[in-house]
Amino acid sequence: MKYFARKFGFFVATLWAVVTLNFFIPRLQPGDPAEIMVKRLAGKDAALDQAQVEAMRAMLGAPTGSLWEQYVNYLNELVHGNFGLSYTYYPFPVTAVIGQAFWWTIVLVTIVQVLSFVGGVVLGAYAAWRRNTRFDSVVTLGSTFLGTINPFALSLLVLYVFGYTLGWFPTSGGYEEATPGWNWAFIQEAVSHAFLPALALLIVTPIGWILGMRNTMVLNLGEDYIRLAKAKGLPDRSVALKYAARNALLPSVTGFALALGGVLGGAILVETVFDYPGLGRLMGEAVTQKDYPLLQALMLMSAVGVLVANLAADLLYGVLDPRARRAEG
Amino acid sequence: MSLTRSKPLLFVTGLTAALALSSCAGSAAQKGGDAAAGGGGMIAQLTFPSEADATVGGLANYNPYAPKPLTSTWLYEQLIVRNALTCEETPWLAEKATWEGGNKLTFDIRQGVKWTDGQPFTAKDVAFTFNLMKQYPALDKPGVWTGTFGAPATSVTAEGNKVVFAFSGNAAPKYDGIIASKILPEHVYSKVGDPTKYVDKTPVSTGPFKVGSYNGRQLVLVRRPDYWQADKIKVQKLILEGQYDASQAALKLRAGQLDAYFGEIPNPEKTFVSADPKNNHYYYAPNGITVLTGNNERKPFNDAKFREAISYAMNKEEISLKATYGVMKPASQTGLKLPSMENLLPQKYAGKDTVLPYDLAKAGQLLDAAGYKKGADGKRTMPDGSPLAVNFTVQAGFIDYQAIADVVVKALNDLGVPSKVTASAPDSVDGQKKTGDYQLMLEYLHGGCELAKNLGNKLSSTQIPTKTEVLPNVQRFKDPAVDAAVTKLASDVDRESQKRDLEPLIDTMMTQFPVTSLIYAPARVIYRTDKAVGWPSEKDPYANPQDDKLLMLTHLTAAK
Repeated sequence: MKYFARKFGFFVATLWAVVTLNFFIPRLQPGDPAEIMVKRLAGKDAALDQAQVEAMRAMLGAPTGSLWEQYVNYLNELVHGNFGLSYTYYPFPVTAVIGQAFWWTIVLVTIVQVLSFVGGVVLGAYAAWRRNTRFDSVVTLGSTFLGTINPFALSLLVLYVFGYTLGWFPTSGGYEEATPGWNWAFIQEAVSHAFLPALALLIVTPIGWILGMRNTMVLNLGEDYIRLAKAKGLPDRSVALKYAARNALLPSVTGFALALGGVLGGAILVETVFDYPGLGRLMGEAVTQKDYPLLQALMLMSAVGVLVANLAADLLYGVLDPRARRAEG
Repeated sequence: MSLTRSKPLLFVTGLTAALALSSCAGSAAQKGGDAAAGGGGMIAQLTFPSEADATVGGLANYNPYAPKPLTSTWLYEQLIVRNALTCEETPWLAEKATWEGGNKLTFDIRQGVKWTDGQPFTAKDVAFTFNLMKQYPALDKPGVWTGTFGAPATSVTAEGNKVVFAFSGNAAPKYDGIIASKILPEHVYSKVGDPTKYVDKTPVSTGPFKVGSYNGRQLVLVRRPDYWQADKIKVQKLILEGQYDASQAALKLRAGQLDAYFGEIPNPEKTFVSADPKNNHYYYAPNGITVLTGNNERKPFNDAKFREAISYAMNKEEISLKATYGVMKPASQTGLKLPSMENLLPQKYAGKDTVLPYDLAKAGQLLDAAGYKKGADGKRTMPDGSPLAVNFTVQAGFIDYQAIADVVVKALNDLGVPSKVTASAPDSVDGQKKTGDYQLMLEYLHGGCELAKNLGNKLSSTQIPTKTEVLPNVQRFKDPAVDAAVTKLASDVDRESQKRDLEPLIDTMMTQFPVTSLIYAPARVIYRTDKAVGWPSEKDPYANPQDDKLLMLTHLTAAK
């Protein structure tokens, strides 16, 4: 029980640190959001119109009170689930803006993560089992090679080849002409638009799983208990799956939980390249626009996602592997 | 860990929303006959890029005073459209504007205009809109009730079909902002509470289009047959869709999926026009000037002689070529856009070439004469013998600016002035404009017709940036005589006195070189003529393509 209590205590402390950093970091940034908004609306080659900046300041409102008061106020608002109004999408509340982007990312990235994990682990395990064969070389070297390519370049390549050159899939956005909702036309468009971003992600994300799984399993395969299992004449399949793979999987579980938690942060790069209307693209936009309320909510969301996932992984690990509990005792 | 993420590099090219600007105050005159080159027939459909970001679809708001409405061009309308290129006015919801001195402005409001819900549009709606700005300063984009650009208003009242603005002093420079303000329906906006927080989902407007549909990504606008000048609107359906960067836009344009684009496409001749010279065109109208800005408070730019010398070292042709593929022409040192503002040029400059020639030898002689002698190592020093060094701050990611910086710094080094370029994030460059902690950078000189507000404020010592505000006089030029001239110019409401009071400012530009004009900065439209013709062009610059899209649309007719 002590193990779980400690983990939970750690979770609460980290959460507080995250919330506090989340309050202070944007306030350390230079730049005036009102000026930035006006300038963006006017374009690069334009003089800043002072009357418009004044109006924009009046609209966005300046924070009042001392930093401490602002901080207390911020915590209070957070507890009540009030994240304020977005600057860029004024006068819509941050929660409404995030609500629009939320499902795009959740569906896309969750599916990609699950597929990557399952595919990566299976490939990695098989490569380890058949180590030093041609299959192993192709998978291991292939992933190492793909892993060195800049994911940005890779996304652009996918976009160029399948989007522009072959024209098989739409190149930007989440859908085209359908009305979002549970209708066939929309689902079709959403799937075809999600295909290229998913592909770009699927090329890169499994690599970590493949290599991690392969290496752990290769180590496990050298252990005495495997030798014993083989000596006892257990079938290969059974040795590979029930003994080696099962043990090698354990470290990946934590990683997978974290990856799922990271889903809330979106896939900034890929979403930006494919102009996919998800959380990652929104986060990128909030950064460039200095949309502090939106940025704070998004950062908090992704941090909390990772923290919760971390807690879940810790707890799960304690259940899965009794040694973890005992060791810390 | 398998999560592969990198930081995004987002250079959101700010699509210009319709910030209509500029004017010399005066009365609006009806612009005669629209020369339509096409058959005059109807156009079934045109597609323009979205005005709002497509990132978060589904958040529909048509409130024209929200920072980012779905469209700010096609629904709500303004009083008068003033084309910043020619300074010509086209009456819109107001038929006429009349100044009495600089402190009383009267608009004759157009009769017979109907809101989309069938209610008549009246002078009361106009008065309501401007009084709402008094109640909610966040709406006051033209600064009607504040001291920015002239004295604040004391009252705005509707009298019959007239609306009268009374100001506590000279307010002529506010004219641009006032005529460009979108007029709201009183019978709707008086009941919505705080209008800045109002989400306008069912716009009641006076414009040529109604909202047909919006699916979170694509906004379909349909023509209103009961529009007050419906005979001039040939476009049946206008689709606003997609936020494109330059390369995406070029692809969409070439494929005919986009009929016009108003953002930057570098080298449009090669990327777009060459694909189909018959149908593909562009018009990059000179809308302002990119000026080389030395900090007048810092050595060596505090010396007008030094500024003059380096002004002759700028190879503007090369700058134009490197930064804009030769599209934007070298700019006149007068600070005026020539030839479109030729009629404002003082007599002594008329007919003369006011674009400074590129003359490295002359620049060298001027530097020698001013005491910036070359040492044995070929490097010049300050007249007192101390070392001379110039640091050029440029916005990282502004590719054209960086190209200009390279040319400038090379020229300075050729002259023997040791110089280097430092690229900084645009926000931090803005910070340097505020603090004055810089030596040399690029700035924009607004080319609008309201010269006191644009050229004037660029030179006025009251407009030096402060710690919190970026104001126009970034170079920190100070001259009491110029300040007086700007004040005088600001009160002028007719062309002749304007021309007279402009002269000292132009003299200052030509002799003091507060900033050095490099090349004109554009207002752009890149368009196809397979469906619609009648776009603005160099021959017929009837509209500023960036700010006056509605006016532009009234000239479009079906291609033959």
